[in-house]
Amino acid sequence: MKKKIGVYICHCGANIADHIDVEKVRESIASDEVVFLSRTTMFACSDSSQKDMVDDIKKQELDAIVVASCSPKLHLQTFRNVAVRGGLNKYNYVQVNIREQGSWAHSDTPAAATEKAIQLVKAGIARVIESQELTPLKIEAHNKVAIIGAGVSGLRAAVELADMGTHVDLIEREHFIGGRVSQWGQLFVSEKNGEEIVKKLYETVIDHPMITLYTGTELIARSGSVGNYNLQLKITPRFVTQECKIGAFDKAIEICPVSVDDEFNFSLNKRKAIYKNYESEFPHIAAIDMLNCTKCGKCLEVCNSINLNQEILIENITVGSILLSTGFDPYEPSENEFSYKTIDTVITLQQFKRLVELSPNKLIYRDKEIKTIGFIYCVGSLQIKGDNKYCSRYCCTSAIHTAIQIHRKYNIKSYHMNRGIRTYGKQELLYTESSKNGDVYVEFDPKKEPIISKNGKQTIIKVVDLLTAKEELDIPVDLVVLVTGMVPRKDNSIADILKVPIGRDKFFNEIHPKLRPVETVIDGVLIAGACQSPKNITESLKSSLAAASKANSLISKGEIELEPTLAVIHIAQCDWCGKCADACPFGAILKTSIDGKEVAMVNNANCKGCGMCLPVCPTDAIDLIGYTNREIESMIDALID
Amino acid sequence: MAKINPEFLDELKKYGGNDFSACYNCGNCTAICSLSTEDNSFPRMMVRASVVGLEEKVTSSLDPWLCYYCGDCSLYCPRGANPGELMMALRRWLTAKYDWTGLSGLLYKYLPATILAFVLTALAVIGLAIKLNFEMETIMHYGHLFEMFAILGVFMVILTPNLIRMWYLVIFKPKRNIPIAVYFKGIGELFIHMFTQKRTLGCSNSQTRWFEHLILVFGYLTLLFTTVVLDWFGTENFFIIALGYIESAVVFIVTAHFMYSRVNKDKELNKHSQPSDWLFVIWLFLMGFTAFVVRLFIDFDLLAANFWLYLLHITILVQWAVLIVPFGKWTHFLYRSFAMYFSSIIQLSQETKGK
Repeated sequence: MKKKIGVYICHCGANIADHIDVEKVRESIASDEVVFLSRTTMFACSDSSQKDMVDDIKKQELDAIVVASCSPKLHLQTFRNVAVRGGLNKYNYVQVNIREQGSWAHSDTPAAATEKAIQLVKAGIARVIESQELTPLKIEAHNKVAIIGAGVSGLRAAVELADMGTHVDLIEREHFIGGRVSQWGQLFVSEKNGEEIVKKLYETVIDHPMITLYTGTELIARSGSVGNYNLQLKITPRFVTQECKIGAFDKAIEICPVSVDDEFNFSLNKRKAIYKNYESEFPHIAAIDMLNCTKCGKCLEVCNSINLNQEILIENITVGSILLSTGFDPYEPSENEFSYKTIDTVITLQQFKRLVELSPNKLIYRDKEIKTIGFIYCVGSLQIKGDNKYCSRYCCTSAIHTAIQIHRKYNIKSYHMNRGIRTYGKQELLYTESSKNGDVYVEFDPKKEPIISKNGKQTIIKVVDLLTAKEELDIPVDLVVLVTGMVPRKDNSIADILKVPIGRDKFFNEIHPKLRPVETVIDGVLIAGACQSPKNITESLKSSLAAASKANSLISKGEIELEPTLAVIHIAQCDWCGKCADACPFGAILKTSIDGKEVAMVNNANCKGCGMCLPVCPTDAIDLIGYTNREIESMIDALID
Repeated sequence: MAKINPEFLDELKKYGGNDFSACYNCGNCTAICSLSTEDNSFPRMMVRASVVGLEEKVTSSLDPWLCYYCGDCSLYCPRGANPGELMMALRRWLTAKYDWTGLSGLLYKYLPATILAFVLTALAVIGLAIKLNFEMETIMHYGHLFEMFAILGVFMVILTPNLIRMWYLVIFKPKRNIPIAVYFKGIGELFIHMFTQKRTLGCSNSQTRWFEHLILVFGYLTLLFTTVVLDWFGTENFFIIALGYIESAVVFIVTAHFMYSRVNKDKELNKHSQPSDWLFVIWLFLMGFTAFVVRLFIDFDLLAANFWLYLLHITILVQWAVLIVPFGKWTHFLYRSFAMYFSSIIQLSQETKGK
């Protein structure tokens, strides 16, 4: 119980004082016996006012203060610091919002606004009377980060974290690292090859003593919380222990009887059960796809480093933070979308990029040499009917860059059926270059999509061109490339395991797009790269570096400070019904047993103090520190008094 | 539904339009053009049709002829797509398209073919001179005869059929049904534009250019009349002789200025000269100049000693009459005025239908 309270009513220049009689507010609470002093001030947040308050607290030995001014969003920290400078605990300060909730909201009715302000200040005083001294919670933090996904984002973040002195467990689901970038061949704008970029990153990662790389590894369970996450990993072996002797691997591929669609090449061709996606892929050792392997044993005869009896391992690791860089999947057009899968000359941009990679001299698809290509843009992005309302950002540039590449490599002419070209920034130069090469840009109305048909052997794109006075054009092409955008990974089970929130676009969601762009509401779980939203490589790496530095700043001090405003369970009243655990959005409430009685327990590190558990408790066994039932009830009493 | 010709763009580049594929359809060119109107706007649509490969749209269009090339569009194009020069290339391409012999396209596209044609005609003239034993009188007689027959022949065999082809491509084929009466109603436009080129005045800063061009046309036509009908080289009449001097002087002085402009590239329209442009001004200059000197030599009685001068003049004349007039840039004189005529009767018939 606080008995010597200082109350300050702020004019906020004219913001408050124009509509609220500030002096009347002061007078009406001044007589309260717990109010030791009450003052009005022109600008409570000004340096001089702050200094006066600090002096008051010290000289008058106040035990709590109330400032009636603006929203706590603006100045809660300011006045908490005033309290601390005066020698008080910062939780013995209460802010009353008489600007946003008073003068601004009721500028037409000043008298009533003044009355409301008086009640609000009284409620604030009632609350501060019940306020307690609280100290922030400190929890131990492991200076180690688990990075999920070893594409370029994950690799780059791993290097950065390791350089800052944080241990990294880099976990990759596939047997090879590099993710999507290794599939793309030449990249815009640097003209570097995807494989080269991956190689550079891999070489740094593999030499770094602070980084442990896990391939063929999936996260299957998690417990704990920020600073102390326990992760369970399932490690699928590659069944090849070291590199086969020169020539032996080629022979093994030759004799392997299994043939499955090659996902790395988007099913353009087949691969064997023993495979490498490309010659210089990392790690250099081949892998066997045990889902499809028949264990016929033929490969054992040519390469003695194959061991088909390797077993799946389960490993547990403890980390302080988790960085998700799980990437994206290309949008897969539905059957019949732009005649995909019904007309054999229609493929996706991703398939096409692989086709270009696999075709050194001539571009041949289904035994026909390709001379003209029609690109259709925004397939799976900016959907009018579908759910993907977003722009996938990279596809315009990628398609145009590819068009330039194939013009150079095979002298192919391209028609670009687009909905407005978005080659932002430096990428605009590519658009200019492609136009000058003689590529034709046709803009269509999204409500009148191009129609692809086949006249004998000739593929024809029928499109209404907005730039030619809505003329319907018949464009004969050899191949149609659907410029497909990015969608979240098909298998995003990791979101369930980590409880990462999913946005409306179905990508992982950050807390705040501008202020906290790489953090999720799950403390210690960060997101980077294209698992968050469509990004190009540059943008992905920037976000991965941001996430790396955020992870480091969070856990590298060895301990993490948490707000003490947490839920607490009154054991005596709790009969464990589980309703609070269901209501908790952060998985912070667990069942435990104390002296043989089943009760709820709060994991402090996970609790955000949101208060969702309080109203559902049938026995009123939960309190929120800083917002205890006593505090809230006394506020209500004061308001209705 | 419009079929696309994927090779059209590359074909046009052979006629001198080099940069237009950079166009991103902002429409600045049409907005800045002082001749473009709401009902008949250009050049953006022509650039677009050329980029996309809508050959038929270009073939049936009069827009290229309605542009008098002030160069503003090229000056203000944010992509350097040079629409003005494309319009120029389209005029060359259309000239080739109208020409039933196909020679026009050949000469425009392949410089070696042009050179060969000029050399062959020169050899033919010299051959004839040899056959006539270099007899001055006879050669001059034949020269005069040639002038008359060449004019008639080129008109009958080449230019008239080509004009009919132009009419077919622009009016008949696109099914613009125009009542016969309208053809008569609009005929005035044909001659007004043929002899005044007044549309040039609608271009920005084009008064001087228009005036120069106007006196050049009059100089050229009257010189033709003076030499062919009044027999300038043979006459003793003082007035006719003086008239011829003035006319030929106008021709070579104005063309000399034109050449100077093209060398200095002082204006947008002079920056991108093709061989056909050079041939046109140089040959016109040489014609005027040699005619002037030939008559001068006659007056000073020096011609007998300067037989070669006359041979040069007649060679240039023959090359002009059988190459440049029927297949080269000369035809713009006809196509431009007929385009204005066709454009006005198309508009007239639309107005009639509107009523």
